[in-house]
Amino acid sequence: MDKLGVITSFIHNILVFNIPLLYGTVGEIIVEKSGSLNLGVEGTMAVGAIFGYIVGCFTNNLLVGILVAFLASALCGLLFAALTVSLQANQNITGLTMSIFGVGVYFFLGRTLRAADAWPMMNDYENIKNGFADIPIPGLSEIPVVGHGFFNHNILIYLGIAIAIAAWWYLKHSKPGLRLRAVGENPGAADSVGINVKRMKYLHICLGCGIMGIGGYYMGLNMTGSFNSECWINGYGWIAVALVIFANWNPALAIVGTFVFGFFNTLRVSGSSLAAAFPEVLGWLAHIPTQLYQALPFIITAVVLVISSIRNKRGGSGLPAALGANYFREER
Amino acid sequence: MGLRITKRNHCPLWQKIVFYAAAIVIALLIGAVILISIGVNPLDYYYQMFTMGTVGNRIGYKTFMNYLNDFVPLALTAVALSLAFKMKFWNIGGEGQFIMGAIGAATVAFQVGPYTPMWITLILMCLAAMLLAGLYGLLAAWLKVKFNTNETLMTLMLNYVALYILTFIADTKADWNFFLQEQSTRPVFKDFSEFAAFPAIPTGGKFELNICVILTLIIGALVYIYLKYTKHGYEIGVIGDSANTARYAGMKVNRIVLRTVFFSAALIGLAAAFKVGTTGVLSTTITNDVGWTGIIVAWLAQLSTPIIFVASALISILGCGCTEANASFGQVSADFADILQGAILFLVLVADFFTRFAITRTKKGGKVNG
Repeated sequence: MDKLGVITSFIHNILVFNIPLLYGTVGEIIVEKSGSLNLGVEGTMAVGAIFGYIVGCFTNNLLVGILVAFLASALCGLLFAALTVSLQANQNITGLTMSIFGVGVYFFLGRTLRAADAWPMMNDYENIKNGFADIPIPGLSEIPVVGHGFFNHNILIYLGIAIAIAAWWYLKHSKPGLRLRAVGENPGAADSVGINVKRMKYLHICLGCGIMGIGGYYMGLNMTGSFNSECWINGYGWIAVALVIFANWNPALAIVGTFVFGFFNTLRVSGSSLAAAFPEVLGWLAHIPTQLYQALPFIITAVVLVISSIRNKRGGSGLPAALGANYFREER
Repeated sequence: MGLRITKRNHCPLWQKIVFYAAAIVIALLIGAVILISIGVNPLDYYYQMFTMGTVGNRIGYKTFMNYLNDFVPLALTAVALSLAFKMKFWNIGGEGQFIMGAIGAATVAFQVGPYTPMWITLILMCLAAMLLAGLYGLLAAWLKVKFNTNETLMTLMLNYVALYILTFIADTKADWNFFLQEQSTRPVFKDFSEFAAFPAIPTGGKFELNICVILTLIIGALVYIYLKYTKHGYEIGVIGDSANTARYAGMKVNRIVLRTVFFSAALIGLAAAFKVGTTGVLSTTITNDVGWTGIIVAWLAQLSTPIIFVASALISILGCGCTEANASFGQVSADFADILQGAILFLVLVADFFTRFAITRTKKGGKVNG
């Protein structure tokens, strides 16, 4: 491969391997803006992934797969909302349980189908395979070096970016978005001006979780549905929780954050090919342990978390003030 | 007519027991529906699961010893976490603290083990594990009291930092890396059981009781007394109810938080020392997810120390039992344990609601009816 080709495929891979982070992050931002900290991203994505993949394959329809992934994960959100909003259960505990439960459902369903020899292989389903193929954007994709990297992707990558931008607009500039932020900041005050706090929370927890589910489905498709000992989500849900903080609860910044985290994630995989293509400049990349790349998102987030908590005393952080606290009207 | 939710002041014990028992039974029924749908008789399966295949099995005692080895770290971790949770300090970092403890204990085993009697090595391992894990937990607590950094998210991040430190040690062949076997070209963790292995108490038969089981029970009793009858325990309870009240009462809240979190994390480190002192070797899956499961167990038990032991015993049975039952029911993967565990906790959270709140019917004017 020529040297510029290495750079092009590196950029391409950043998006291909890390777009599920964006889905997970944008979904979690919407959930957290309603004042709920859902630590169940990993499990929610896993549930969406497995149901979306199986139903998508059996109906041989990518759109059905996306919808089912959305609905299955939205159901996880509904369960989370019922427990934390209506039944006042602790959010941390409910979310953690969702993570264990969701990954359990994922493996149970997958292994049961495998044991029964009924596991669908993605390559047998033409519509799924073709639907997931790259679609170059005319004109833009012909720009040298970066064109293929940025503008020649499958439909779900474009959809992910579109959802992030839409979520940014919704939270920042729409009326329901403003109300949602009010609920996350001070549910008591929001309630007193006539906002239906419960309904806002239910709707946005389900919506956010549904978006996570599409990200999970993507991971399954990107691995062409090969089911082995590691979960498709493989920790991406937890990185998404971290990325929310990094993005300061802003979906537009989440796109940037996905690139930053994705950059390290891709270095882990492609660092050696970059080192081989540019031995003088990037040769040192081959000597960096891969675990450093894996740990970096979490280290960066920890640092961001500390900085933002120092800054928070002076305002400016996007952290919803009522995050993690349940709202009980009688205690307003 | 409408429904109105009000807080209950008191829930009689028998009602609590009925609610929680119902939650577990319903979870098992949901599990039964899943089992029937894949063509397995749920009664047979549950029998195998709850007996962990020990009945009529000649090596059943081995299964039971394995079960106890799973139970010890889980119970101790859950007890440790309950200390922090009582203070409403959300220590989600059990995994990371456990890993740090395991690394600390293994370091002592390799560096000190060859030169000292085993019982000294074991004590030093426990101390090193407690210190390292304690400091790792203290970091998040210090940031919390200093900058009000969200401890849930911080401990979560630190879990992964610890995990990748451990996988780095596991994958890197180097001169400094005394954790790995020297003769193997591939990176493999070295066994240290000849320098450090917790003694087992013979019981006459083939079954041997690991001393860690007894130590864990003693520590549990001590923590119970600590929380219930000491000034420290009282302070923890007050801060959990309201940090401001504690401040008005003249308590040094920050110091108590730091002390308690260190203690909580150190006990998790001790659980890790027990674990590596029993297995005699590190592994990248050394935690067996106790940092996560421990949170669930502590919550299932409503942070009550005696009930934590009961809940740990139950959850460990699910884990071991589903693995054992998989031998006879190949079509039911061992992940069934996670589903059951999740279903139980979700339903216990529902039961929890009914013990804390009452639903009353209201007439149109809002008048409470009964």
